[in-house]
Amino acid sequence: MLRIEHLTKIYADGTLALDDVSFEVPDGEFLVVLGLSGAGKSTLLRCINRLIEPTAGRIIWDGTDITAASGEELRQIRRHIGMIFQEFNLVERTSVLTNVLTGRLGYVNPWLSIFHHFPKGEVDRALRNLDRVGIADLAHKRADELSGGQRQRVGIARALMQEPRLMLADEPVASLDPVLAHSILRYLEQLNQEDGITVICSLHFLDLVRRYASHVVGLKNGRVVFQGLPEEITDQRFKEIYGEEAERVTVT
Amino acid sequence: MERKKSPVLSSILSLIIPGLGQVYAGSPSRGAAFFTAVAITALLVHWQGNGPLYTGVVVAWLWNVWDAYNLARERRISPALPFLVIALTLYIIGWRVTEINLRRLLTDVADVKPLVSNLFHPAVFERDIEKLVGEVQFESPCSDSPPPKGTPLEDEPYLVFVDKTCGDPGDTFTIEGGNFWPSSKGYIWWSNLAGEMQFRVRYKGNYLTFETDEEGRIPPITVVVQEPFAEAKGKGPQLYRVQARMQREVGSPHLSRTFFLVVEKMIVTIFLALMATTIAIFIAIPISFLAARNLMGGNPISMAIYYIVRTILNIMRSIEPLIMAIIFVVWVGLGPFAGVLALAVHSIAALGKLYSEAVESIDPGPIEAITATGANRLQTIVYAVIPQIVPPYLAFTIYRWDINVRMSTIIGFVGGGGIGYLLQQWIRLLMYKEAGAAVWAIAIVVAIMDYASAKVREIII
Ligand SMILES: Nc1ncnc2c1ncn2[C@@H]1O[C@H](COP(=O)(O)OP(=O)(O)OP(=O)(O)O)[C@@H](O)[C@H]1O
Ligand SMILES: [Mg+2]
Repeated sequence: MLRIEHLTKIYADGTLALDDVSFEVPDGEFLVVLGLSGAGKSTLLRCINRLIEPTAGRIIWDGTDITAASGEELRQIRRHIGMIFQEFNLVERTSVLTNVLTGRLGYVNPWLSIFHHFPKGEVDRALRNLDRVGIADLAHKRADELSGGQRQRVGIARALMQEPRLMLADEPVASLDPVLAHSILRYLEQLNQEDGITVICSLHFLDLVRRYASHVVGLKNGRVVFQGLPEEITDQRFKEIYGEEAERVTVT
Repeated sequence: MERKKSPVLSSILSLIIPGLGQVYAGSPSRGAAFFTAVAITALLVHWQGNGPLYTGVVVAWLWNVWDAYNLARERRISPALPFLVIALTLYIIGWRVTEINLRRLLTDVADVKPLVSNLFHPAVFERDIEKLVGEVQFESPCSDSPPPKGTPLEDEPYLVFVDKTCGDPGDTFTIEGGNFWPSSKGYIWWSNLAGEMQFRVRYKGNYLTFETDEEGRIPPITVVVQEPFAEAKGKGPQLYRVQARMQREVGSPHLSRTFFLVVEKMIVTIFLALMATTIAIFIAIPISFLAARNLMGGNPISMAIYYIVRTILNIMRSIEPLIMAIIFVVWVGLGPFAGVLALAVHSIAALGKLYSEAVESIDPGPIEAITATGANRLQTIVYAVIPQIVPPYLAFTIYRWDINVRMSTIIGFVGGGGIGYLLQQWIRLLMYKEAGAAVWAIAIVVAIMDYASAKVREIII
């Protein structure tokens, strides 16, 4: 179980991005974080694996205080938290296989890995994970030669290398067209249901939220303004999260 | 409600000190501009000491008074007139101090003709040279036992005195000789006994020449006794060698010694560029990380290092490699090593800046992603930073290499070794054919290197 307690983030320029955020994520949940651009979704997700340092508050995961960890301990924690990104964040000019293998860097011998050496077993694991997201045939292509949907699948395969127990997905489909969006989210759903990986995913579109979320947290200006089941988001609630002028946009 | 400004006071202020009225009228930047423009122009005109040029200063000054008057009445007038007047004054001064003299381009064009024509006849090929020398020993001033007149030799070139064998500087004596090549020209040389001080004898400004008859005899020639060399002054009677020399080219043309010397120095030059570039790469890479804001931001200590490294790089880059070479020549002596150091130091600064900008422009996304997997810092650099910086680093390195090849050819002008040192000496000694060979070598090598690096760039980037 992941418990977020009074999490606050104030950026160096004074921006209050998260304001006393508290909620719980039971294991096996598919939690969607909903909110307007600038609501603090990315900040929240990045605080969980400490890509961003929280200003105050605690994040407790299975009894470990993530916010108190540092150095080696923090890396051990990060190893078990996969992350995928809106912009995929692959290393361009590098092969798909190498990109996937980087997901394993927290596990392998650091000195050998610096010389781009990975044990055979890890290479096999990478190929299996690529197979799982349906792009085993692209293993030796360069990452910058792939389409957006293929890139995000590489991103998922990279995260899978970590054997994660928690998967953070920061608007994983915002750069993709609607059909691809479903295909990517179905992979996340599959991981959630078959492997029991907890997923925390930020999304923009209500239809996608209703389709995939098991639980929803609504953010507005860094505050939690909604917590509950996807069915509970009425149009009225939606307007509270997105502001009065919001229209429901449909994704088919 | 703002208090009204007095136009009269404003004008008087500007009359005393240009710009002061404008400041009073509430336009300090306009005032500063007037003050600076008028003051600098006045100083320059004064330095030139040229009366008529003061007109420009006076016009600008008076106009500035008029401007202050108008400003106080809240009217802005266009400064085009004083701007033009000052610009004109400055350009006149500029024309004078740079000694521009277009007429000389035409009248003195003959001076450059031998240089240009020799550049197009570089000393690449030569024929062997055969020499004939005959000599007598002359004494100046006379001692009690002057040297003998000498006797004709059987089959070697010889000289003999016709009249006297000693005399004071300015006297004349006559020599003749034989066994030289028939019907050819030659020169008379004068040297001390040891032979290390020597020169061709002149007579009324021209070199003293002779021409042999069909039997190879030198007819009697009159030679003026030369002044003693500096170290022999006041030391009493000295013996001098008086020589008749002839030379001619024999055999077929072959690659000249100049050619091989140029090739050798060209190789040194390319190595000079190579060593400098390589040293610079190895030092600039770690420095570039220290000079990259995105890697050094975060805590005050690393930020301080960032600023210090940046400042040092900027200062180093602002020193021209030629100046740097002069410093290193004084430090480590003439030669290629000084050139290597000068180019290396300048390249470190230039590459350090370019590399660090490449680091600063990398996409932070992959770094974030790799950090998130639990990778350590070194792994993150290897997998997320290096793949992104290799292409720009290569591009900048090739660019620097091109510059260094060019620079290495002239770094020798200030003593930094390589072909430039040779070229500079040949130009000073007016050996334009040799200089021509060096110039051509530089042009060819630079062109080839440019072409090669363009090809390499196409392949790897
Ligand atoms: N590095 C930063 N420094 C200062 N302010 C920041 C920084 N990153 C984000 N912010 C600000 O913090 C607030 C929350 O940003 P965040 O990126 O978390 O929002 P988001 O919900 O992910 O928005 P989006 O949908 O546009 O990605 C915004 O006002 C943003 O401008
Ligand atoms: Mg975001």
